[in-house]
Amino acid sequence: MKRFERVAAGIFLVIGAGAAYLALEMGYGSVRFPGPGFLPFWLAVPLTLTAAIYLLACRGPDAAARPLWERDTWRRPGLSAVIMLLFTLLMGWLGFFASTFLLFLAWLILVERERWITVGAVSILGTLGAYILFAVLLKVPLPKGLLF
Amino acid sequence: MDAFHGLLSGFALALTPINLLFCLIGSVLGTAVGVLPGLGPAATISLLLPLSYALGNAVTSIIMLAGIYYGAMYGGSTTSILLNIPGEAASVVTCIDGYQMAKQGRAGAALGMSAIGSFVAGTAGVVGLTFVAPPLSAFAVKFGPAEYFSLTVLGLLLATYLSGKSVVKGILMALLGLLLAMVGRDPVTGNERYSFGLFILEDGFDFLTLGMGIFGIGEIFTSLEAQMKAELVTTRITGLWPTLADWAVAKWAIVRGSLVGFFVGLLPGGGAVIASLLSYAVEKRVSKHPERFGEGALEGVAGPESANNSAASASFIPMLTLGIPGNPAIAMIFAALLIQGVTPGPFLLKDHPDLFWAVIASMYIGNVMLLVLNLPLVGLWVQMLKVPYSILAPSIVLICAIGVYSMKNNIDDVVMMVLFGVVGYVLRKLQFELGPILLAFVLGRILERSLRQALLISRGDLSIFLTKPISAALLGIAAAMILCTVFMSLYRYVRRPPPANA
Repeated sequence: MKRFERVAAGIFLVIGAGAAYLALEMGYGSVRFPGPGFLPFWLAVPLTLTAAIYLLACRGPDAAARPLWERDTWRRPGLSAVIMLLFTLLMGWLGFFASTFLLFLAWLILVERERWITVGAVSILGTLGAYILFAVLLKVPLPKGLLF
Repeated sequence: MDAFHGLLSGFALALTPINLLFCLIGSVLGTAVGVLPGLGPAATISLLLPLSYALGNAVTSIIMLAGIYYGAMYGGSTTSILLNIPGEAASVVTCIDGYQMAKQGRAGAALGMSAIGSFVAGTAGVVGLTFVAPPLSAFAVKFGPAEYFSLTVLGLLLATYLSGKSVVKGILMALLGLLLAMVGRDPVTGNERYSFGLFILEDGFDFLTLGMGIFGIGEIFTSLEAQMKAELVTTRITGLWPTLADWAVAKWAIVRGSLVGFFVGLLPGGGAVIASLLSYAVEKRVSKHPERFGEGALEGVAGPESANNSAASASFIPMLTLGIPGNPAIAMIFAALLIQGVTPGPFLLKDHPDLFWAVIASMYIGNVMLLVLNLPLVGLWVQMLKVPYSILAPSIVLICAIGVYSMKNNIDDVVMMVLFGVVGYVLRKLQFELGPILLAFVLGRILERSLRQALLISRGDLSIFLTKPISAALLGIAAAMILCTVFMSLYRYVRRPPPANA
């Protein structure tokens, strides 16, 4: 766990230092006339310092070496993240109807490993239900694409 | 207008058919998201922000969103008691004794006392809100930019301290949230900040995208990993109305829970989760038989369930009177008010008395609705627990995506939401509390505005924050908190046991 925390602390440190540098580039101004970078600088500096304290607190070996993910527990969240990203990309290209159907289909097959009958029923009914709720009843403007 | 007359006019507005309908919708949705694990009130309110905008009426939409928040406190206990999984974060501690009671065949008593305790405490919290908010609002009118800056600093600090075990992690989250709020155009000069030439970052991050990402999508990733394998207690639920013996055991727990919840709910970062945990600790401490806790003690259900409802009502006070949201769900309601063109804060009562009192009146009505929804209709919610998560998860993703897309009709926002979801999930894995990010993000803009205004007024003299008495007092409290933490850490470091193999 500490190993991952050290990595996280390192990332915070880089974000803090980078943000402080960019804040100065933006224009610090003065206390009387604060520039766009004034407050960001005074937020980035304590972020860098706190990240350094966190890094120091995470030094040394782990009392009980424990991985961040037990066995392959990362698989389902990872897979669902990829499906979500593909869904958002497809939404702009194929439109709401087809992309929503594919979202349900991919999710139920790859993430949940449901039976085919459930996959088919939920994908069709879920897509139709969402369309009726959002497009027809709530009149939400949904993305249109190649297939609507 | 005094509180009594204000409340009467509020009831006149809250009792109109449309407001009653949306109060009921909010209460039903709130109970539903409370019952369903993996979808909290903050995420649900963020999902419904576009709908609240479409409603076009600030009073009606805030009545509905408020109903979702306090309704979730009622629903969370059902899942905790029957499934041993908290339906809502504030019901975590109810699992301990509630599930044991259910296994012993006393699910009805646990559910009944939980609903009644929630009703009593929720109503007591609204009574407190009715009488505390107006004088606090009148006092807060005296606040200038310096006082607001100091209050925001103190609020952020409290949120950080109360959010989790590690203060360092809390501070990191709060600072990250503040920096995220800086992305986009500078409010004074219009210069771009941290946008890296990307069109999507020119106007900064959207509150909804961040909130739905880290709370909605992030929660789904966490739930998928956990592979919830819980055993639903399916015995017939009887004996919902408490017996005299149950009353004797639980009545003081409800009173104590209401008081603890109210005071914790007032604090930024406090909210319902801390209130319920604190109430459980109090009940165990005052009990003559603390060994019964963990074995199915009714006080262990009644106290925390009362506390989280009272805290939910009380947490409206700092938001409505000072414009400082204390927890993520309240921050979402804060955003909803802004979307409707209403600025929460000391002038809310003066400028929008109809909204102020109608929302408070609706909370009295909503609590009655929720008592009915959660006592005679509890069986309905138990049925809902049987909906498989495999169907629920993609549906939640879809609702989140449409919610974010419909704000600006921009696919890039949906991509950003998913990325925030991944970041939220990883941070949660590393045991970071995510509440401070969202609170700091909301407060970041208030902080910057008040700081720059105060420096302009004082012509760059920083002593303005110390020469104004209220500001100085608030900063004094903040400094005392920091010093206390530093001294406590040093004390623990000095008194630590020597290493075993030295």
